[in-house]
Amino acid sequence: MLDDQQIKRLLLRAGARDEGSAEAFERLYRLCAPLLLGVAQRVVGRREVAEEVLHDAFAGIWRKAESFDPLANQPVAWMVAIVRNRAIDVRASHDVSRVDSYHDTLDSDPDGSLDRLFEWSPGPDENEDRRRAVGWLRDCLSKLQAVERQALVLAYQHGLSHGDLAAHLQKPLGTVKTWVRRGMESLRSCVETRMGTGR
Amino acid sequence: MRIESSPALDALCGEYLIGTLQGSARRRFERALREEPRVALRLEHWRTTMAPRYSPAIAVQPSPQVWKRLQAELGLSRYRTPLLRRLGLWRALAAGAMAALVAGIAVEVLKPVPTEPAAVTIAQLEGQADVARVTAALSPDRNTLQLHAARPVLAGPAQSYELWLIPAEGGAPLSLAVLGNLDARVPVAPAHSKRLVPGAKLAISVEPAGGSPTGAPTGPVIMAGQIEI
Repeated sequence: MLDDQQIKRLLLRAGARDEGSAEAFERLYRLCAPLLLGVAQRVVGRREVAEEVLHDAFAGIWRKAESFDPLANQPVAWMVAIVRNRAIDVRASHDVSRVDSYHDTLDSDPDGSLDRLFEWSPGPDENEDRRRAVGWLRDCLSKLQAVERQALVLAYQHGLSHGDLAAHLQKPLGTVKTWVRRGMESLRSCVETRMGTGR
Repeated sequence: MRIESSPALDALCGEYLIGTLQGSARRRFERALREEPRVALRLEHWRTTMAPRYSPAIAVQPSPQVWKRLQAELGLSRYRTPLLRRLGLWRALAAGAMAALVAGIAVEVLKPVPTEPAAVTIAQLEGQADVARVTAALSPDRNTLQLHAARPVLAGPAQSYELWLIPAEGGAPLSLAVLGNLDARVPVAPAHSKRLVPGAKLAISVEPAGGSPTGAPTGPVIMAGQIEI
């Protein structure tokens, strides 16, 4: 599992743009590229397109490392967001009839994939707060309505838009939007209630 | 309307995180992430608490071409430690006059990285005995305030620290930054930096995650200090 503190040090070192920045960036790439390629591949489907996304995303990470916020505590999630957003854009420009072509490769068991796709055991660098937060999230996800959970997991892992999701689930757009919105809202209020900050 | 004060802030963070916020809506949100500090902070809260981590099991090894291309396109060779420096000076000298000569050239060619002019300490912030002392230093261009805590001070997941400037002439405290920890570089707007003068005070309060909901301190002030320079 990737260590956020180590990744953050490497990002800041790469962003310093001095001697040794290239070594730090290379180390960052060696550590993170395989996971990020897995993330990209779930969105774009094809391996060669996913490698394109990985290339573009790392070029972006190198540029953005200069302004990387030293206060940010989730550098891996930050990189995952760059990769997913790039993947979503590339897919949109590559393949017009993507819903049909991706239909077969989409996850048919989103509930089971929660445990296949994600890591629920705490990482080595995680503090007590983060450890508890992970437990709450897993628990709160299982308390969502099945259709909401399915919509969230599908959208997250494949980077689907509301429209893609509606087509895939064969439901009206409004219904799917409601599932996503309500699912996120229930998740937030459930997690925050556990944290003691619910409103 | 600014996104940071929109009632839809949480919904937008959620949809951004999950990926259903796409196209121009996503770009608008990303602009707000850069320009509105509370949006970035709220998203950080979402990332910490609501985004699962991917399992290492999904990793796929990329082909070697991807790195080769990146390295060439980004011109990374400029940022590598020169071989001689990596070997260490003594070994370079031991390698003989030729190596020493080459090292001399290398030093000549590689201009030293310009160092940032030192920031000037303007205040010491202190609170109860159990809270670390924090020094505040201002960069010579007065654009950046550097906070340094004697020990790490981290906000809990449901809290943020907020840094306030209490103007010398009196009046309401001005919010300078919402922070997750007290070792931080804080960009200072010109309107605020001209008020960082002797007689003004800096204070840090504990607020709900994302900062004070009212724009004025709502939680306990854990430390404060007079600006002296």
